[in-house]
Amino acid sequence: MLTASHLTRRFDSRVAVEDVTFELAPGEIFALLGPNGAGKTTTLRMLAGLIAPTAGTVHVGGERMTARASHLRGRIGFLTEAPGLWDRLTVFENLIVYARLQGVAPTERAVNAVLDLFGIANRANDPTAQLSKGLKQRVALARTLLHDPAIVLLDEPTAGLDPESAHDTRALILRLRGENRTVILSTHNLDEVDRVADRVGVLRTRLIALDTPSALRSRLFGQRIVVTLQGPAGQYAAVARSAGATDVTVDGDRLSIGVDGNSVITPPIVTALVGAGARIVSVIPEERPLEEVYLRLLKDESR
Amino acid sequence: MKRILALVAKDFAELRHSPGIFVPALLTGMGAILYPFAIAVIIPAVTGERLSDSADFEIAELFNRTEPAIRGLSAEGAIQAFIFQQALALLVGITTVTGGMSVAAHSVIGEKQARTLEPLLATPLRTGELLAAKVISAAVPGVVLTICCFVAYVVLIAIFAEPRVWTALLTARSLGLVFLVGPLAALLGLQLAVCASSRVNDPRSAQQLGAVVLIIPIGVLQVAQFVGGVVLSGTILMAIAAVLAAGNLLVLRAAVSLFDRESILIRWK
Repeated sequence: MLTASHLTRRFDSRVAVEDVTFELAPGEIFALLGPNGAGKTTTLRMLAGLIAPTAGTVHVGGERMTARASHLRGRIGFLTEAPGLWDRLTVFENLIVYARLQGVAPTERAVNAVLDLFGIANRANDPTAQLSKGLKQRVALARTLLHDPAIVLLDEPTAGLDPESAHDTRALILRLRGENRTVILSTHNLDEVDRVADRVGVLRTRLIALDTPSALRSRLFGQRIVVTLQGPAGQYAAVARSAGATDVTVDGDRLSIGVDGNSVITPPIVTALVGAGARIVSVIPEERPLEEVYLRLLKDESR
Repeated sequence: MKRILALVAKDFAELRHSPGIFVPALLTGMGAILYPFAIAVIIPAVTGERLSDSADFEIAELFNRTEPAIRGLSAEGAIQAFIFQQALALLVGITTVTGGMSVAAHSVIGEKQARTLEPLLATPLRTGELLAAKVISAAVPGVVLTICCFVAYVVLIAIFAEPRVWTALLTARSLGLVFLVGPLAALLGLQLAVCASSRVNDPRSAQQLGAVVLIIPIGVLQVAQFVGGVVLSGTILMAIAAVLAAGNLLVLRAAVSLFDRESILIRWK
């Protein structure tokens, strides 16, 4: 659906994005992570056809994106970092302009449909200057989806939103996947990425990692299980090792055991612990926070 | 065309919500209307000295003999007609340009400052369509304002000047000034502003360039008219219209090639 191939962008002598390549499928949510100035917005702008790459190409549905391919911009919905609404116009007026620019017909019906979809029909006649930040973001999202784009680019969609509005936005992103749209999400909110993203790209001018969140976790930290016991776990570490575990750490009532993708060793460990008299509360795969993965990737890359 | 109209309609909707931006242009228009009245009506009335008694207006009497619209007027009326006709260039030039620039400050440049330009450029809107919409949105109010000022000018002349002087303002030359030279001057100024906007870092420079490039020649022309260096005859008016039309074509070509959506997005802060 969307292919970025060796994308590079220079601003005079400064390289903002270098040799970024990825391919996204319909119904996929791809999160673009990176520190400030890593090139996330520049990448989104290149994908949206707003700025041209210095080198490399963007293809939308097999067609190459260029400054003149204005019809391809119609297949993309781009939520910019700022809502970018005309303050003096009402919500309805804002959306009707975009419906006309996007060639949506019948115009008013399409606008009314997104107003209903985003629960803002009751504010349709209010000037956007009077809306809260969360409502403005909702209007901007409505504008982004007004023309039913196959590809949706979201630049920090939940930045500065209250928890309820952020939750609604995440629900919307998940709904977009259900509608088979390709979503690219640029954000600093790693918890959000963990909840919605199918794949993650970590950008620091270059793409330093590109995979699913769980694959990145495994690659950096290995696969582990956490066995929670009733009472202190220290005395059972040796039991786990005797059952084949080579990497065991103890934290209070929990044993963290490295299994390295070998789920076969989990049952004998559990059996040995029960046999040694341990009272097991739970056995769950250990999920390292994505933040740890992200920080580790950046740290490794800067070495 | 639909996208141009959509954007023009949006700009007009925004203007309806902020009529205050026309106040400077309106004040300029009023000033341009009042100053020939001061020379032709108010000062003679206050001092009791008729214009036709002064040797300073020989040029007007000369003009009186060649201009059919003035021929039947009294000597005083002919001089008034000459002054009102010559001052019309300033009224038209300055009102269209300041009217247009007031709007331009709230259009291309305003979009960037309000951070509404990026989502706009992310639509299928083409560069030429954006340019056309912005120039039309800015030019139309300036031209409409000028026509309103012209109507007010003629009505005030009919009320306060010598009888039938107002008919001298309805000649092909005067109407050509209002309906041909005025819009061409407005378009040129606005295109220059848009053209400059893709090559400067500070939007204020772009706002001012179009106005300065036109207002200085208008001022020079006005002074030249009153010291007798230039009489704004039909021939000179057509020459000005031709120069403006040629200038518009040249600037239009330059604007399309220079207007760079990318540099506006990236360089303007």
